[in-house]
Amino acid sequence: MRILLVEDDADLGPAIARALRAEHCAVDLAADGIDAQHLGETEAYDAAVLDLGLPSRTGAEILTAWRAGGRTLPVLVLTAREAWADKVAAFKAGADDYLTKPFRVEELMMRLRALVRRAAGHAQTRIVCGPLAFESHTGQFELDGLPLKLTAFEWRVLSQLILRREVVIERLELLERVYEGDADVDSNSLEVIIGRLRRKIGAERIETVRGRGYRLTCGEQPA
Amino acid sequence: MKRRSLRARMMLLSALATLAALGLAGWTMTGVIARVVTGGVDQRLDAQLAVLASVVRDDGSVDRARLAARQGSLAAGPGWRWRIAGPRGTIGSPDFPTLRTPFPGHAGAEAPPPPLPPAPLDGEDAKGRVHARQLVLASEAGPVTLTASAPARVIGQPIRDALVPLATAIVVLALIFALAAWVQLRFALRPLAALVAQIGAIRRGERATVDEDQPAELQPLAAELNALAAANAATLAAARQSAANLAHALKTPVATLALTLAPDSPAAAQLRRIEGVIRHTLARARAVAVNRRASTDIAPIAADVARVIGTLHPTITTRLAIPPDLRVAIDAHDLAEILGNLLENAARHARTATLVTADTESPERIRVTIDDDGPGIPAERREQVLQPGVRLDEGPSGDGFGLAIVRDLLALYGGQMALGDSPLGGLRVLLHCPSGR
Repeated sequence: MRILLVEDDADLGPAIARALRAEHCAVDLAADGIDAQHLGETEAYDAAVLDLGLPSRTGAEILTAWRAGGRTLPVLVLTAREAWADKVAAFKAGADDYLTKPFRVEELMMRLRALVRRAAGHAQTRIVCGPLAFESHTGQFELDGLPLKLTAFEWRVLSQLILRREVVIERLELLERVYEGDADVDSNSLEVIIGRLRRKIGAERIETVRGRGYRLTCGEQPA
Repeated sequence: MKRRSLRARMMLLSALATLAALGLAGWTMTGVIARVVTGGVDQRLDAQLAVLASVVRDDGSVDRARLAARQGSLAAGPGWRWRIAGPRGTIGSPDFPTLRTPFPGHAGAEAPPPPLPPAPLDGEDAKGRVHARQLVLASEAGPVTLTASAPARVIGQPIRDALVPLATAIVVLALIFALAAWVQLRFALRPLAALVAQIGAIRRGERATVDEDQPAELQPLAAELNALAAANAATLAAARQSAANLAHALKTPVATLALTLAPDSPAAAQLRRIEGVIRHTLARARAVAVNRRASTDIAPIAADVARVIGTLHPTITTRLAIPPDLRVAIDAHDLAEILGNLLENAARHARTATLVTADTESPERIRVTIDDDGPGIPAERREQVLQPGVRLDEGPSGDGFGLAIVRDLLALYGGQMALGDSPLGGLRVLLHCPSGR
């Protein structure tokens, strides 16, 4: 899960980023309105966390520009403004959720996961794929009913795969959704992560589609 | 004097003027009456002097036979006396009063030569003060002084008799003047009382300015009051803004702290208290600027809010049954706050559906209901959930706090909120809102 975090406060921005990374998310932090708008228009994100009061461009302007440009990524507005009139205005501009500061990290994570899940077209919070289950509410994976321990990168890859189970995900898109914008990406590292995941959940679950990408299969496969 | 009321000051002034005018009138009239009465007595005394003069012969002696014949026309009432004093002796009434010499030279060597015209002369006898007239005749033997006197009470009594009705009339006049002044003052001060009522209405937030269509003397006062009210409103708005700014500015650092503290630590509990204070301050800052003269169409606001709820709670169906152009006297911003909090609460507890209705309850009241098909709140717990902050620290979104905010906000506009059972099976929130014109 790669998140665009737009927050201009020099302390709060990094603090939220740390909290989101602790929940296995890849986070790009933008402190300036113009940067934020540009990132949202050019990079692939699973969701954006958007502050409304920003230097050089307001959150509402950025959101309106994204929507006008056809960007459909889920946007959670995180603001100090708690009036319903502000909330109504944010939703009119195209927000998908609204959280007021101060907030709790669990609340933010829960809402972000719900946004990403709904954007992937899942109505239920629990996504099942064969023996594998993803509790999108908490971000926990289960294998055969037992909790599955994953590293941050493993979690990012597997959550992408299970949200679009049975669908081929382009290798490049997977890379984009797993690594932060300024990360030094080794072209082989994705294969390394996939390899580790296959050892944990069964090699046949993650299918390599030559020249395209990867697919998580849920049906009973011959052993 | 400074602390006395305007009415008392004006009444005092008017009373002093009335007293002076009536006193002057009384004094003048008493003088006129005294002159008229004295004149009458003087005429009678002069007539007696004429009788006395007719019995004095040219040589200064008295014609006694003639005197005896005419004595009847000389007044014989108690206190009426006469005397003829000449060079050949003096005759007259017994116990003739002692008279003061009218002027020093009259009976002495320097006396002007007779005859002298009748002149007034006052004196006293054993029974009291007397009023006399004296005439000096010239005779061959020398001057003959004729004197007729009357008791002073024949002058004093008629004056005293006239003074009683006069004084009564003056007192009655004074009362009429006082009453007239009081009525006049009441009438003149009535615009002032109206102005006071309007200022009271401003303080209660029922109006923003006083009527500037005032009598000429009050017009500058009304204009100044309006300028003051405007300055006051600006100060209030600035205070509200700075309180809101302060609370607002605290939110981000509090959010940062909350992220770095362990949720179960004592410091985190203190931080939640700070969050409570921030919310309270913001709610109170908002309350200062309540505009009771607002008029807001309910339907578009409810539709906006319902759209937000639809996005936040995609599994809940929200239905609106609100006639077009139904207006409440609540600021659009605050109406969004009221409906938003209530509908969010309803959607959070609903199983599948919520419903908002509005209709005209009376010419002054609009009834709004917010229903859900959730579990509802048992009657005995309804009062409890309206206590502000009771459930502030429970649940992720300060569950329940919204109801108290809505009730207090609505009360600022003169509206009421009640909780009941919904026909949908859950909670019904019933609002009685002031109608907007």
